[in-house]
Amino acid sequence: MINPFLPSKMKILDIIPETEIDQTFVLAGRKPVKPGQFFQLSVPGAGEAPVSVSDFEDDKLFVTIRKVGRLTNALFALAPGDYIFARGPYGNGFDYRDYVDSDLKVIAGGTGLAPVKKVIKHFIANKSIASLEVLLGFKTPQDILYRREVRAWVDAGLATLTVDKAGPDWSGNTGLITGYLKNLDLSNLENCKFIVVGPPIMIKFITIELLLLQVPEENIWVSLERKMSCGLGKCGHCKIGETYVCLEGPAFRFARARRLLD
Amino acid sequence: MSINTKKVIKNAYRISKVRGQTALRIRVPGGHIETRFFALIDEIASRFGNGTAHITTRQGLELPGIDFERIPEINKMIRPLLESLGLDREITDDGYPSAGTRNICACIGNRVCTFANDDTTAMARELERAVYPNDLHFKIAVSGCPNDCIKAALNDFGILCTVEPVYDASRCIACSACVETCAKAVTGALSLRDFSVLRNRELCIGCGECIRKCPTGATRRSPEKSYRLVIMGRTGRKNPRMAETFLKWADRESIVKIIQNGYAFAQRHIDRSLEKEHVGYIVDRTGFATFKDEVLQDVRLGEKVIVAKHIQWGGYRYTSDAGFR
Amino acid sequence: MGYQLSREQFDRFLDRLQDDYRVFGPALDSDKGAFSDTDRITYKNIRRLDDLELNRKSYFSPKEIFFPIRETLFRFCEGEPTVPQIDDKKIAILLRPCDSNAIDRLDAIFLENGPFEDFYYKRRRENVRFFLIECATGFDSCWCVSMNANTTKRWDVAFRFGEDEILVDVKSEEFLPYLDDCPQKPFEIRFIYENTKKVRVPEVGEVTLDHFAHELWNEYTARCIACGRCNTSCPTCSCFTVLDAPLGAEKKMGERWRAWAGCHIDGFTDMAGGHTFRQSRGERMRFKTMHKINDYRKRFGKHQCVGCGRCDDVCPQYISFARCINTLSDCIEEGKRK
Ligand SMILES: Cc1cc2nc3c(=O)[nH]c(=O)nc-3n(C[C@H](O)[C@H](O)[C@H](O)COP(=O)(O)OP(=O)(O)OC[C@H]3O[C@@H](n4cnc5c(N)ncnc54)[C@H](O)[C@@H]3O)c2cc1C
Ligand code: SF4
Ligand code: SF4
Ligand code: FES
Repeated sequence: MINPFLPSKMKILDIIPETEIDQTFVLAGRKPVKPGQFFQLSVPGAGEAPVSVSDFEDDKLFVTIRKVGRLTNALFALAPGDYIFARGPYGNGFDYRDYVDSDLKVIAGGTGLAPVKKVIKHFIANKSIASLEVLLGFKTPQDILYRREVRAWVDAGLATLTVDKAGPDWSGNTGLITGYLKNLDLSNLENCKFIVVGPPIMIKFITIELLLLQVPEENIWVSLERKMSCGLGKCGHCKIGETYVCLEGPAFRFARARRLLD
Repeated sequence: MSINTKKVIKNAYRISKVRGQTALRIRVPGGHIETRFFALIDEIASRFGNGTAHITTRQGLELPGIDFERIPEINKMIRPLLESLGLDREITDDGYPSAGTRNICACIGNRVCTFANDDTTAMARELERAVYPNDLHFKIAVSGCPNDCIKAALNDFGILCTVEPVYDASRCIACSACVETCAKAVTGALSLRDFSVLRNRELCIGCGECIRKCPTGATRRSPEKSYRLVIMGRTGRKNPRMAETFLKWADRESIVKIIQNGYAFAQRHIDRSLEKEHVGYIVDRTGFATFKDEVLQDVRLGEKVIVAKHIQWGGYRYTSDAGFR
Repeated sequence: MGYQLSREQFDRFLDRLQDDYRVFGPALDSDKGAFSDTDRITYKNIRRLDDLELNRKSYFSPKEIFFPIRETLFRFCEGEPTVPQIDDKKIAILLRPCDSNAIDRLDAIFLENGPFEDFYYKRRRENVRFFLIECATGFDSCWCVSMNANTTKRWDVAFRFGEDEILVDVKSEEFLPYLDDCPQKPFEIRFIYENTKKVRVPEVGEVTLDHFAHELWNEYTARCIACGRCNTSCPTCSCFTVLDAPLGAEKKMGERWRAWAGCHIDGFTDMAGGHTFRQSRGERMRFKTMHKINDYRKRFGKHQCVGCGRCDDVCPQYISFARCINTLSDCIEEGKRK
């Protein structure tokens, strides 16, 4: 009998500091995975939690983790060469085919960037869409993830970056991400598709704005976060209505997501 | 009119303010009375008294406005009331054999209250049987839980019914309901470590709140009941004060025995030059150590019982009014 | 095959089963209520007929026998997870039709939902046999008929417990040898077809977003204290949380458990970062209600709630789930008339 709760060991190849409280762990392993899917990562005795895959290459998986509690503290105590436990991937991620030939707009707030980082990288390398624009918001300049890549996207005119608050040595944009929606090129609105990821409150306000701009619900994708204890459709924590976020999500078309009421 | 006041008082009638009139003092141990007696009480009050009854501060009943000469008649009538006390002695037509120690009070207890850890009425009645018709100035009260609604803390012997929680981790869902209620409403004796509950037995007062709150029955009642005995609380003209804890986690038998020993202790040390010296003042004179030695004689306290080593009572002294100026 | 057993014969039947089965049934847990000097009916090991308490409803359901309240998933020793062995003796549970149906509701979650079967549930559940207690009159707080959970075909042996005799119908051949010397008598189990309590359950599709936002839920924000008893006593509540605890001094070892969780209980939806969904208790009541009578049904084609009425029996605030469902139905009817 398969025991889907049983994790397997994955070796930490490298740890890349992102911010004071975020690190990207590079894990050895090859698993068929889609961006937006997640793994249940664990440290024995400390806990288990869902973490999105932020990137993957031939034999490597990347996860970016924020230190917030019991498990993540334990993860941050590990070093390259150590092992972590993982099971997955789980859930429904973003399907590249959904965006073919579209003008894709990716709007990400804070750590919400992690689950879509691979989508952005994919469409930069792969020209199957008409155009790509990225809108990124972080709380402060210190919270910016993937600095090198983000700088490159901004420099290439691909991304708009804003921070909610900044000190005098910040020369970039400031203010809430919603305020920068107008920077996106929406001239060909019918052909635009949107991916919105970030904290619940940010998703709420961005999608309100988009609907006001007459964007059809079917052209918006969001990624929902919920407490999850299994990733398998058993524990019930992630359930909204008849939908299990761990199974049918966390990436949803907004047409469906908006009907998921708690 | 010739009245032997000592005899009348001992027979549970009061010397009242109104010359020629007395009041009948009915004992109601635990403050719980069968309503079938209401007709009898009504009959006595309307035929011999002034048609009223006073509910006393100690949960007894007092029927005022009775002429002294009616006492023999009334004593015959109250025989069923005496019989209902279930005493180990023959009941006669002569009324109460003594005014007794003060009526033993109790809160409503676990016959009704969800907090109560025991049947306080039954306990009060058991104590009544153990101490009545002993006639010393003792106040005894039984509270169903450490909320102490009956204010056992103002009695010479205050009994707080407690329960020791028994925890079964295999039924625990780590919801923290017990931890939170103890922290917010009690002493904070519980904590959650690695999703299991730890109990600090020293901080635990046995109120049973955690048991009430547990949704899975992981925290349950111990099969044995236990009691906290607080002693020598009082009001009065010298030094009103709250009782202090003497014993924790004691069993019922020990409590009863200790209180009985308390009467013997008082008999030995009482100052007979006073009308009826109150036990608290006797302890003040002998010191806690003597009291403790004497009342614990022949009492077999279980292993888990904690006994106070020293007690320092607080309260206020009226003599310190002098410092106001 | 039908049998008629005397009390002694029934005890002998139980005796003979002991080698191969652990038998569980509703029994009196004297003095084990939350209040002092109160008892509770819970599921316990049954060795004799006298152990059974059949005149009162059990406070907790039998689900804890095969879905333990807290269960060790594995221990990490030397860095490798080891799954604990379980007693693989078969388990016979004396239960009523509602609880038999409730197990079917749990099966749907643990064995059908998602891409995998739940290993831990399955390995215990496979050992479970159903000893059906005939329940033809029910209790005052039951509404199984309204939930189509009054009858069941899911049983191995059915019993009618009379004063002096026990009538038995054996459907699973594995139990025939244990009764081979008992007098035969044809017996067919009866079910209940009308409860005193009736619940009107809305049809799927009748519940709209308007009913989500309806003020009827506010009452529960004021009344519910989020104690979770309705969840823990429910035979169909299946939610759990996975917990990790370190083992030993060397913190490299640990144990992973799962423990029941409840949607009424604080923390059920808490996420890192401090976000909580369904903060108000009315929202939690709505969530539970929808799950029990609407969402689950959309997914699995049957009600989750089996109308056992335990939630109504145990709520310290006297909140009646039956009334809640009826209130929702009233609102829907009212909406239709408008
Ligand atoms: C689909 C999905 C993808 C995710 N992807 C990522 C990702 O890529 N990177 C990432 O860093 N995180 C991600 N998360 C979030 C991640 O799962 C959590 O950060 C993780 O569970 C934290 O675990 P912990 O044991 O370290 O924290 P915990 O110790 O469980 O808690 C952390 C914080 O949460 C709050 N909290 C938790 N429980 C309670 C409670 N009972 N009461 C009050 N407050 C509470 C507290 O503020 C606490 O400080 C994702 C979550 C989901 C659902
Ligand atoms: S049992 Fe009653 S008070 Fe407790 S969570 Fe359920 S509805 Fe609320
Ligand atoms: S919701 Fe209530 S009535 Fe329905 S199955 Fe659960 S406990 Fe029984
Ligand atoms: S995470 Fe457990 S059911 Fe979705």
